[in-house]
Amino acid sequence: MDPLIVTQAINVVYAVSILAVLALGLAVIFGLLGVLNIAHGEFIMIGAYCAYVTESRGWPYLVAVPLTLAVCSLLGAAVEWIMIRRLYRRPFDTLVATWGLSLLLRKIAEAFFGPGFRSVTIPLPGTIKFLGTEYPIYRLMLIVVSLAVVSVLVIWYGRSRTGSRIRAMVNNPELAQAQGISVRRLAAATFVVGTCLAGFAGVMVAPLVPVQPFMGLDYVLRSFFVLIVGGLGSVSGLLSGAVVIGGFDSVISAVTDAANGYFAVLVLAILFLWLRPRGIVARA
Amino acid sequence: MAIEKKGFTRRTILGTAAAGLALGTAPSLIRPAAAAGEFKIGLFIPLSGPASLFGPSSQACAELAADEVNKNGGILGRPIKLLATDAGGPPAESAKSAVRLMLEEKADLFIGMHDSATREALVATIKGKVPYIYTPVYEGGECDFNVYSLGETPNQQARPSIGWLAGEQKAKTYYLIGDDYVWPHKTNAEAKKYIAESGGSVTGEEYVPFGAPNKFEEVVTRIKSAKPDVVVITLVGADNVNFNRTFAGFGLDKDIARLAFLLEENTLMGVGAESSANLYSCMGYFANDPSAANTKFKAAYQAKLGDKAPLLNTLGISCYAGVKSAHQLVTKAEGTDGKKCMAASEGLTFETASGPATMHGRQVDKAMFLANCKGTQFNVVKTFSDVKSGSECKA
Repeated sequence: MDPLIVTQAINVVYAVSILAVLALGLAVIFGLLGVLNIAHGEFIMIGAYCAYVTESRGWPYLVAVPLTLAVCSLLGAAVEWIMIRRLYRRPFDTLVATWGLSLLLRKIAEAFFGPGFRSVTIPLPGTIKFLGTEYPIYRLMLIVVSLAVVSVLVIWYGRSRTGSRIRAMVNNPELAQAQGISVRRLAAATFVVGTCLAGFAGVMVAPLVPVQPFMGLDYVLRSFFVLIVGGLGSVSGLLSGAVVIGGFDSVISAVTDAANGYFAVLVLAILFLWLRPRGIVARA
Repeated sequence: MAIEKKGFTRRTILGTAAAGLALGTAPSLIRPAAAAGEFKIGLFIPLSGPASLFGPSSQACAELAADEVNKNGGILGRPIKLLATDAGGPPAESAKSAVRLMLEEKADLFIGMHDSATREALVATIKGKVPYIYTPVYEGGECDFNVYSLGETPNQQARPSIGWLAGEQKAKTYYLIGDDYVWPHKTNAEAKKYIAESGGSVTGEEYVPFGAPNKFEEVVTRIKSAKPDVVVITLVGADNVNFNRTFAGFGLDKDIARLAFLLEENTLMGVGAESSANLYSCMGYFANDPSAANTKFKAAYQAKLGDKAPLLNTLGISCYAGVKSAHQLVTKAEGTDGKKCMAASEGLTFETASGPATMHGRQVDKAMFLANCKGTQFNVVKTFSDVKSGSECKA
C-alpha cells in the first residue's frame, strides 16, 4: 500500500491513543468526582517540566516518572485538601477555583523556569521501518504505552476493591458512606490519581512539544471535548470520545488540511452538546 | 459529602469552560501616576498570553534605550516615561488601552511590538494623532499617516535567502507552511514571486489555524510525500517549535532544508539541538552578532540587568531601536505633529543594537543575516548588506 496512506493511518492511531492518555486524568477527576478541573492542562505542564528537570540534571529519562508522580500527588493532595474538598457539591465553584489554580500554577512555573520555551530530548530518537513506512520510534512507543496505561486502569477500576468502592461512591455517596467507606478519603485519593495521570501524560508528550508555562492550554479544551463527546464516568466513553475527536481531527487534517481538522472538532463538539448532550456512552 | 453532579449539563460546562479560558488571557493594565513634563511613550508589548515570552526582553531593551536618552537630556528636554501596556490579548483590548493612554495619560507617542492584527487596530484607534512606531518583523506595506515601521519585510527576509538557497543549494522546489493570519499569507505571496524569479516552483502551501492547539504529524507526512528541496516556515512561537520537532522526529531534517522567517533565540531553544539540523533563519539581528556595536549594546544590557537578563532577540532589540528612533524623530520634527514627523522621518538616522540605521519611506533598510542553526546557536553563513525594505511609503 501507498506509504503516505499507511503513515497517515498510523498518525490517526497515534492521535487517538495520545488523546486518550491526555484526557485520562480529567476523565477521573471530572467524570468520577464531577470536578471541572480547568487546571488539568497545568498538571500536564508540570509533568513536562519534571521531564525537563530530569534531563537537565542528567538523570535517566525514566526518573521523570516517579518524580512526576511524587510532585503531582503532593500537589494534588494539597489542592484537594485546601480547595476541592469544600466544593464537591458545587461544580461551577470548582470551575472558578481550578481556573484560579491554573493561573497560579502557570505563574509558579514561570517563576521557576522563566517564560521561554524549553526542549526535552527524545529518549528514543530516530525512525523505524513499520508496515512498510519509516515512523518515529518514540511515537510508536507512546501508542503502546497509552494502550497499556488505559488497559491497566480499566482492569483495576473494574476488578479491584478500590475500584468497586469508587463505583459505589460515584453511584451513591451516602449509601457508600453508610457501608463504612470513607468517602472523603476515597475522593481525595481519586483526585490525586487524576492529577498523577495528567502529570504522567505530560512526561509522555514532553519530548515532542515545546515545554513552556502556557502549554497546558493546548490540552485542557480538547480533553473536555473528549469527555463531552464520549460521555462521563466510563472508560468506553473516554475511548469513544478520543476516537471521535482525535480520529476526526487527524483524518480530516490528513485528507484536507489542519484548519479543516480543527473546524471539524469544534463542529462535532457543538453537535454533541446540541443533539446528544450526555455523550456517546451515557452513564445510567 | 456527595459527589453528585445534578443541576448542570455538559452544555453549560462547555460554555463556562470556554469563558474561563478566555478570561485566562485577559490583559493586565498598568496605571502609572501622571507627572508633568515627562515625554510619555505608550509601549505596546505582549505581557500576557502565549506571546508574553517576548515581553521581558522587549521591555528591558526599551528601558535601556530610555535610560540612555534620559541621561542625555531626554526628548526635547523632557525625560521619557515608558507606559508598558499589554498587547498580548485580543486587538480590541489593545485598542481600548490606547484610547485610555491618549485620553488619561496624554501619551505623546506610541511604540508597538506585537502582531499585525493588533497593529491594524491601533492604527485605526490612534488615527495618526501622535506618531506610532511599529518595530517587529512584519509583512511590509504599512503606510498609514504618522506610522513608522522598523522591522524586517519580506523583501529583506525572503528575497535574499531564497536567492541564496537557489544558488548555493540548488533548491528548486518549495513547500510553504504557515499560521493562518495576515503576516504568513502576505510573506508567502512575496516569497512565491522570489521563488519564481529564482526558477523554482511551489509544490505545496498550507496554513494551520492561528492560536489553536496544532499538531503536525499529518502536515509533515504530506511534506514527506511531496519531497520538496526546502520548506519555508512562517509559523510563530509554539507552532514553530512543534512543527520543527515533529519534522525532525519523522527524520525529514536530513534531506530537506528548512527556512524560517520568525526563528529567533527563544524559539530555537524550544526547537532544541537535536531538531535543528538543516534549519535556516533570515533575520536582521542575531544576539551572537560579533560586531562592535552589538558588543557594546550587550555590555550595557548586561550591566543594567545582570545575570537574570532576558534572552536577547530581534523582537526585543526592535524596542531599543523604537525608543532611539522616537528620540531622533521627535527631536528633528521639534514635536509630534504628523506632517512634520513624516517629513522628518525621511533619511532619519538612529541607533540600533547592531549599529546605526536609516529610515526611507517610513521603513528601514538594513543588513540581513542568513544563519544555519548549529545546535541551539545561529551560525551566520551569509550577510546581505543594506537590503532595501521594498515597501517604501510614497508620502
